[in-house]
Amino acid sequence: MAKKILVVDDEPDIRESVKMILTKNGYNVITADNGDQCLQKAKQENPDLILLDIMMPGTPVSEVVKQIKNIKIAFMSVVRISDARKRGLTSQENIVDFFQKPFNVSDLIDRVELILNED
Amino acid sequence: MDEDKYNISKIIFSKINRKLTLLFIIVAVIAPSFAIYYFYNLSITLSENMTPQTTLLLQTITASIIILIALDAGVIGFLVSKSISKPIKKLYTATKKLEEGDYNIKVDIKTGDEIQRLAEAFNKTTAALSRLEEERKELDTAKTDFLSITSHELRSPMTPMKAQLQMMQEGYFGKLTKKQKESLIIITRNADRLDKIIVDFLEISRIEAARLKFNFKEIDPADTVKETVKFMDGFAKEKNIKLKVDLDDLPKIEADPDRISQVIRNLINNAIKFSENKSKIEISAILNDDYIQFSVKDYGCGLTHENQIRIFEPFYQVESSQRRRHGGTGLGLAICRGIIESQKGKIWVESREDKGSKFTFTIPLKPVKKIEPIKILFSRRGLIERKIKEEFKTVLGPLGVNEFEELKKQNSIDKNDLLEYIDYLTNKHIITDERGNYFKNHISLIYGDKKGVINEKRDTSENVFQGEVVKRN
Repeated sequence: MAKKILVVDDEPDIRESVKMILTKNGYNVITADNGDQCLQKAKQENPDLILLDIMMPGTPVSEVVKQIKNIKIAFMSVVRISDARKRGLTSQENIVDFFQKPFNVSDLIDRVELILNED
Repeated sequence: MDEDKYNISKIIFSKINRKLTLLFIIVAVIAPSFAIYYFYNLSITLSENMTPQTTLLLQTITASIIILIALDAGVIGFLVSKSISKPIKKLYTATKKLEEGDYNIKVDIKTGDEIQRLAEAFNKTTAALSRLEEERKELDTAKTDFLSITSHELRSPMTPMKAQLQMMQEGYFGKLTKKQKESLIIITRNADRLDKIIVDFLEISRIEAARLKFNFKEIDPADTVKETVKFMDGFAKEKNIKLKVDLDDLPKIEADPDRISQVIRNLINNAIKFSENKSKIEISAILNDDYIQFSVKDYGCGLTHENQIRIFEPFYQVESSQRRRHGGTGLGLAICRGIIESQKGKIWVESREDKGSKFTFTIPLKPVKKIEPIKILFSRRGLIERKIKEEFKTVLGPLGVNEFEELKKQNSIDKNDLLEYIDYLTNKHIITDERGNYFKNHISLIYGDKKGVINEKRDTSENVFQGEVVKRN
């Protein structure tokens, strides 16, 4: 069964690009464009992985993350990982990876594969 | 210091003169009048019997009265002159503080005369200066806030752009012709370059705003250097270059290890770029009284005179085929300079064409916790040079411009170099002493105060390269 990934980013071009990449590599992709939608879709669809942008309008990402504890989350961010760590965003157990934007396509695929094959 | 000798005769404050005159009249006329009156009475009563004792008594009394009058005049005179010189001294001290940049000075003078009015005018002026300073700071903050917001916006398009380019290159949308592949490579390379420039620009704006986050902690600088060198070893190996480390015994200091590492990495990166395969790069650290001096020395192609002068400028890049291969934004050294100078250190280069280059920077032993904003993109240096050039034109006429250019080529336009040069001119009677002093004063004014820049005397005793050593900051 194809793994399901939820891609959350407020920029449509990034959402579409990441969706394209993942779909081409055999994943089932759903999208959301802000924190609230992310929580909604996470509950509805129960994805295997959430790719989450850090800087989005609306509910802050830290709040969103606190409410999702049982699904793997990987951040996608322009912000550097050290800054994210300083903001306390990386302390939860289900946060498994950090993609610095702009990311490398093959790198994204490899790491997503690794994350999802860990079960 | 001609400004120190204030000429009392030039102070025509009528009220003060009236004060003075009145008081001295009291002393000079009224007091003696009393004395004369007393004596008159005394002489009448004593005119019949003038015994030797009486004469002696008379003389003693006369003497005492004269001394008393003298004392009296002296004391009052002193008090009066104090009442003038004290407020003037207050104004002078306040003006000195203003020179140092403290615009919150207020002078408190309540003498009820023109000096008080002068003080009030002075206070109004400093208030205005203080307001201007506030405005300037606000403008600066607005500018850098604007920069950081737009920088985020500038970076965002990079992500989908690069993602789509990569997908195209990896055949996500079908097979590509050779020409299409080549075209994509060019686009990707320039997209990467643009991205790097934006990142560096963000960094510079943070440095300028002094919003660089410095994380000061107690570190062993030797460890920092060794870790950085280890990190760069991988890159060096690609060109078979050896990285050699030679450190003095360095004490633990309070500093930001990430920033020091950043500077060293940048210098080593440049050294690798401009070195041949199989050469070596030497990283050293010397302990000095107030600072630690770090150096990165390479044996590569070195820098031309022109390049040495301009290499710390933002966006300036050395023209060479090697540079084209490695890209780069031209901001690396400008950022290094910003990091080092905002900690009150210095960074400079010594180089000889075809022999190599040695980049050196200093970190003060006493950490400077209050980071001041530093101008990188619009540097004071350019402004200072223009002003000096104008001064040369004023004092020496049209030939002055040539003289200035010559001195600039020889790297002798620092304050002390120029003062020495002016002395030389006056000694050879090329200009009069008076002109020379005028010239020197103006040059000193242009250079203003260089607060807090330590180790101004650079270590020229060690000639790294034989022959002409050219040092440039």
